[in-house]
Amino acid sequence: MLKFLTTLFPAGDFTLLAVILGMPLLGAIVNGIWGKRLGKQAVKTMALSVMGIAFAASALTFLLLDREASHHAPEHVKLSWLAWKWMSTTGGRGASVPIELKFSVDALSGVMMLVITGIGFLIHLYATAYMEKDPGFHRFFAYLNLFVFSMLVLVLADNLPVLFVGWEGVGLCSYLLIGFWYKNEANATAGKKAFIANRVGDFGLLCAMFLLVQYTGALDWNGIENGAGSLVSQADPMQVHLWPIGGGQFQGALSFLQPKTPLMITGATAVGLMLFLGCTGKSAQVPLYVWLPDAMAGPTPVSALIHAATMVTAGIYLVCRLSFVFVLSPFTMAVIAFTGAFTALFAATIALVQNDLKKVLAYSTVSQLGYMFLGVGVGAFSAGFFHVLTHAFFKACLFLGAGSVIHAMHARIHDDVKSQDMRYMGGLRKYMPYTFWTFGAATIAIIGFPLTSGFFSKDEILFKAFVNHPVNGAATHMGATAAAKLWQQPAWIGPVLWAMGFTTAVLTAFYMSRAFILTFFGDFKGWTIGKPSVPSHHDAHDAHGDDDDDEEHHHAEDLKKPGLAPHESPWQMTVPLMILGTLSLAGGFLNPALFAGMFKDHKPPMDHWLEPVFEEASKAIQVLPSAEAAHHKEWPLTGAAFVAFLIGTATAYYFYITSKGAPAKDMAGRAPWLHKLLLDKWRVDELYEATVWNGTDALADTAISADQGFFDAILGRLTALLAAAFGTLLRVVQNGVVHVYAGAMAVGVVFIGWFVVVPRADFVVQEQNGEYLLEAAPGMGYAYRWISEPANAKDAKDAKAGEEKFSPTSTQLKVHLDPDKSQTVRLEVKNAFGLGASRNVTLTRPPAEKPALEKLGAADLPTMKLGNN
Amino acid sequence: MAAVETPSNEPGTNPSSPYSVLVVGAMLLVIASASYVVVPEALAKVLGGVGSLLPILIPALVVGAMPRGRSMGVRLALGAIAALLALFVRNMWPGAETAADPATPPVESHTLLSWLIGLPFLGAAAILFLPRQAPRTLKAVTLGVMFLSLLASVPLLQVSMGREFHFDQDVVWVERFGIHYHVALDGISLWLVMLTVFIMPIATYVSFGSIETRIKDWCFALLVLQGAMIGALVAMDLFLFYVFWEVMLVPMYVMIGVWGGANRIKAAIKFFLFTMTGSVLMLVAIFYLAYSYSRASGGQMSFDYFELQRVMLPHHIQMWVWGAFALSFFIKVPMFPVHTWLPDAHTEAPTGGSIILAAVMLKMGTYGYMRFCMGLFPEACGWSAATLGGVSVLGGILYGALCAWKQDDVKRLVAYSSVAHLGYVMLGLFAATPASMAGSVLQMVNHGVSTGALFLLVGVIYDRRHTRMLDQFGGLAKVMPLYSALFVIVALSSVGLPGTNGFVGEFMIITGTFVSNRLGHVNGIQAVGAALGVILAALYMLGAVQKMFFGKVTNPENKKLTDINGRELIAVTPLIGMIFIVGLFPNLLLEPMSGAIARIHDDYSVRTENNPAPKFYAGPIKLQARRPEAPKPLLKAPPADAPATDKAPAAEGH
Repeated sequence: MLKFLTTLFPAGDFTLLAVILGMPLLGAIVNGIWGKRLGKQAVKTMALSVMGIAFAASALTFLLLDREASHHAPEHVKLSWLAWKWMSTTGGRGASVPIELKFSVDALSGVMMLVITGIGFLIHLYATAYMEKDPGFHRFFAYLNLFVFSMLVLVLADNLPVLFVGWEGVGLCSYLLIGFWYKNEANATAGKKAFIANRVGDFGLLCAMFLLVQYTGALDWNGIENGAGSLVSQADPMQVHLWPIGGGQFQGALSFLQPKTPLMITGATAVGLMLFLGCTGKSAQVPLYVWLPDAMAGPTPVSALIHAATMVTAGIYLVCRLSFVFVLSPFTMAVIAFTGAFTALFAATIALVQNDLKKVLAYSTVSQLGYMFLGVGVGAFSAGFFHVLTHAFFKACLFLGAGSVIHAMHARIHDDVKSQDMRYMGGLRKYMPYTFWTFGAATIAIIGFPLTSGFFSKDEILFKAFVNHPVNGAATHMGATAAAKLWQQPAWIGPVLWAMGFTTAVLTAFYMSRAFILTFFGDFKGWTIGKPSVPSHHDAHDAHGDDDDDEEHHHAEDLKKPGLAPHESPWQMTVPLMILGTLSLAGGFLNPALFAGMFKDHKPPMDHWLEPVFEEASKAIQVLPSAEAAHHKEWPLTGAAFVAFLIGTATAYYFYITSKGAPAKDMAGRAPWLHKLLLDKWRVDELYEATVWNGTDALADTAISADQGFFDAILGRLTALLAAAFGTLLRVVQNGVVHVYAGAMAVGVVFIGWFVVVPRADFVVQEQNGEYLLEAAPGMGYAYRWISEPANAKDAKDAKAGEEKFSPTSTQLKVHLDPDKSQTVRLEVKNAFGLGASRNVTLTRPPAEKPALEKLGAADLPTMKLGNN
Repeated sequence: MAAVETPSNEPGTNPSSPYSVLVVGAMLLVIASASYVVVPEALAKVLGGVGSLLPILIPALVVGAMPRGRSMGVRLALGAIAALLALFVRNMWPGAETAADPATPPVESHTLLSWLIGLPFLGAAAILFLPRQAPRTLKAVTLGVMFLSLLASVPLLQVSMGREFHFDQDVVWVERFGIHYHVALDGISLWLVMLTVFIMPIATYVSFGSIETRIKDWCFALLVLQGAMIGALVAMDLFLFYVFWEVMLVPMYVMIGVWGGANRIKAAIKFFLFTMTGSVLMLVAIFYLAYSYSRASGGQMSFDYFELQRVMLPHHIQMWVWGAFALSFFIKVPMFPVHTWLPDAHTEAPTGGSIILAAVMLKMGTYGYMRFCMGLFPEACGWSAATLGGVSVLGGILYGALCAWKQDDVKRLVAYSSVAHLGYVMLGLFAATPASMAGSVLQMVNHGVSTGALFLLVGVIYDRRHTRMLDQFGGLAKVMPLYSALFVIVALSSVGLPGTNGFVGEFMIITGTFVSNRLGHVNGIQAVGAALGVILAALYMLGAVQKMFFGKVTNPENKKLTDINGRELIAVTPLIGMIFIVGLFPNLLLEPMSGAIARIHDDYSVRTENNPAPKFYAGPIKLQARRPEAPKPLLKAPPADAPATDKAPAAEGH
């Protein structure tokens, strides 16, 4: 069967990808345009079936890929499909760079594709129940299908511009889905914020693209890999001039700006940093992470699919995809690792005190994404990518669990903020058993309980952070000696990164246990549970925020009144939870690096599967102090991670179960400013508002006032004013008074008279092969006299010899000059009134050979010094 | 992909809707066909078959499956539009078999361009003889003439363009001064002519919904405008070009002044004076150029573009002549700081006028710079490219976007966004790499489509509310769902979302700029600045979208607004279609223009090969050889390098 399929879909023309891509797109179009007519049942069927088919096709692709890979091991196998030629651009040295709409799947994108369609399908299923009562049901599924399509374009793209289509496409869907309940201004604003923060990242990606076009002359993965050497060219590895911009020179008054040594970086560093800027936007890293917590304004399935499992991991995917570019610059690698570690730590501190369940999960996502960047930043690409996979399992499960809880809370608490507040929850263990167990499974996975998925992936990252040392990958392209002159990472980086990761692990264990305990243990604090006294017309779940009438629909209910107990969600919601919960627990065995010894070649399955993808990049990763010594550190480091888990969990247990939250309140009371600062998320939003936002705002205000007050004032008003003023002046003259006219005429007559009476000695010179012809200007009653003398004549006799009488006919004079000779000619003029004027000119014939001018076809021209007297 | 939601009052929520059966059936059909097409040979066959069926299938789908209660007329019209677009894609597809056998290329009619110019003028003349009291006839005749023009332009697409000029027609007009009626078309003017004949019926049709007074005058102005614009785009005689350039000005002046908003007179005069200032300087420069030619060629005057291209001007003369041309074009583009007429003109112009102004008339400036400045004065263009590139990044892309962000009038916002978009176009021209120039031409078309659509949609809301102030709106997504969805799509294309047309142009311009070596050492920072404009574009467009469509309906006047009507939908659909067609298949446009781009790039490079500062020619004015790609001259052209029989101006002493 597989063999037959291989002939159907040859590796070079793998049309099955079109099916995988086309299905969600079809769903989006049908649901978007006809969804309202079709009704909810049909929308549901449509959305689920396209996702199901896409998943089935993905699984099939994966099998075919596996077959192909095992045939051609250890090559990097790709199945690709060319849709059509998109456009072309110009590369460095004027070469044309074709950009094709081409898709391909390899080991890396194969895994991503399965995650997207698989988890995507589960979340679609979940959403059919979650969004049941929402009037925008079809719109929601249209967007969600469009998102899956864009995400597939992103991972299946065979070149950077096509990836960019998906990259911005998922950003668009994120924008639309965050602002899904658009009537609430805050949601629309959060959507816009996400889009603009992502656009800042996209700016980086755009810059990376033109840098790559310039240096590697290609934008497809193979082309970039082949041309990567020119990013660190042997001749001048420092190719990108940062200051002075572009390698110019500051001169004169600006010379103080000229540094002693220009600030330059390699092309690889520039490309790497710009790509990483894109990743910080999409994957919510410092400094662009601020949009992700706000993005929780969208429906919860969206948070699970887009803002936890798939879209936000696009940045890590991109770093893995272009790993061979990143390793060329140890500096970029260090930036990635430190940004990741810092983001992980930073977001974890905020998550410690948040009360909104989804906010905790949001900051946890930011923090976990930081882990992934820490992993890829130290060159542990497959470990970082494995964390993408496990994170997709447990974080999707957590978000869906949270959605299930919120769904239950929404029965009585209609306020979107309150229904997510953990202070209103508690004790849900009793009422929502499935949600409790699956949420629990995902929680122990994220906090690294031994043998769960998070344990394997996170510990692998921490271990690699300690021992890995990215060295200069440029060595393969430019030789070790030349590469050694570039910046190298110091040895202390590894342990520092590890310490940051370790602290984060402690904090993660604490805040996740806290969230879990506050939600599911203790007593229920939402409302009084009992028999409802008045049958509420709201016993069904409300539409979230959006209704037909414009009035405030969610009038606050009196929560003191007894109401029905929170209830478990329908099967469409619990089944995905159970599947994801199981994967959270067991998924780690896809890549148990700790037990690598049990596998062939000491490679756990996932590492083995991804090996060809990272083969090129892994050459640049050294293990310190040696592979053997590092191996001995593995178990102690794992023990340390286990200790982190124990500390965090035990503290949370003590704080919130043993002492019922008293120590937490106590600590908040002791340092209220710190607590407030953490609760306010370190006030980073406010900082951005005060600096970047207000700065741009002020700039725009300046621009608009300059536009109206200066440019338009000069071009529009001042010119009008000048014309009016001139007109006013002329109007004074044109006043109809005869005396004035007569006076003006008199002035004119005098002027003309002066012109006639005073003679002018003017002439023009023409030259042909050394024969100069001087021709005097005519005038009333003029008589001319030419005096020509050699300029270098030592005695004046020659000059006198040429003296003649004034003659009205001698308007011309011919002079011959040899090359490189010059002569002075004088013209004297007398007019009818006997007044005279004269003028000198020195004719100089240039030397015969004038190669520069002749090349341009210029005739030999005299250069003249003119003197007038 | 509707961005919005309508109030639900139909039985859509019924769980056992009969449509679900339909959908399942459709799914099965898709699966069946998917399993069928996996057989490769069958795949090719089916795709081939589908390809030829597409122009029938797509409109059938559109007509049959349109979701909302539209009348049959609207359905058929939309179906016809879909058919036209599908035909366009199929026949323009690179490598597609054109109707004619490639061995016998279609005969180029030498009078076709004259027909394209003449038809609207004839129509305008006919309008004069129709009674003012019969507005329906007037409208029908106007639209009929425009459709005839659209139809007549089809043969333009059937010719493989290459590097040469086509449809060349050269007739002596004023023999004594060497003025000819010379029109020709290459791959660049092709798309601008197509844009004109494509946009004009749309603008006209939508304007008939809102223009109620002086219909006859309006129709007359539109037709004259169309003729003049096409004329200016294909004129290959500078005198003829100038005539069309000026004729174009008058109808637009009248349109703003008569049918405009409250401050229309001021805006119209401002528009006229700004443009005229540049034009008059250009006229002087044209005369000087023709005079120089006559001196270099021994007394024979010529205004012919291909002849004037042969004139080599020394440094300071070239700078002056170039400056006069460039100023005229920069005002038209408009480039910072001479852009201030544009927001006023756009704000006051009626919807139809705004669409035409933005979509076609502004392109005259960029086209003129590309054709005349870069073609006639390459050294001067190269010398100024770095500085002007900086102006178009700082003053156009960034400054325009910042100004747009702060506008509270939607039309002014779109007008400033035009300044930003045309900043990209000009940057691409200054960078002068093949990709950046192709991107610029593409971006000219894109801007015409996207900004035209934006003005059209702003006009829709203006007709309903008689205001364009952003703070008057809010929550429209609920009241006018379809309108909102269309607006969001167009806004995103204006932002340059990949997959829409805006991205392709911007991408080619930005990458082309970075690899350019004609911008001194600032090419890098200019590319980065242009990329920064992408962020700002999102800022102002999404800000406007949020203020108009999201949030609650706060203004009671907005509660009862009707959604987009049939006329407006028909008018905007082709534009939306083009947004995606160009975004997904830019090669349809890039392929035919590539030859002309290469020609311009080569001509430009030959004379500016010394980088970064090109070396100016230093001798007396003289003639080079005629360009190999130029059409055959009508009269015998004077030989190249003719000895200067007249006085050499460089040597004149005073």
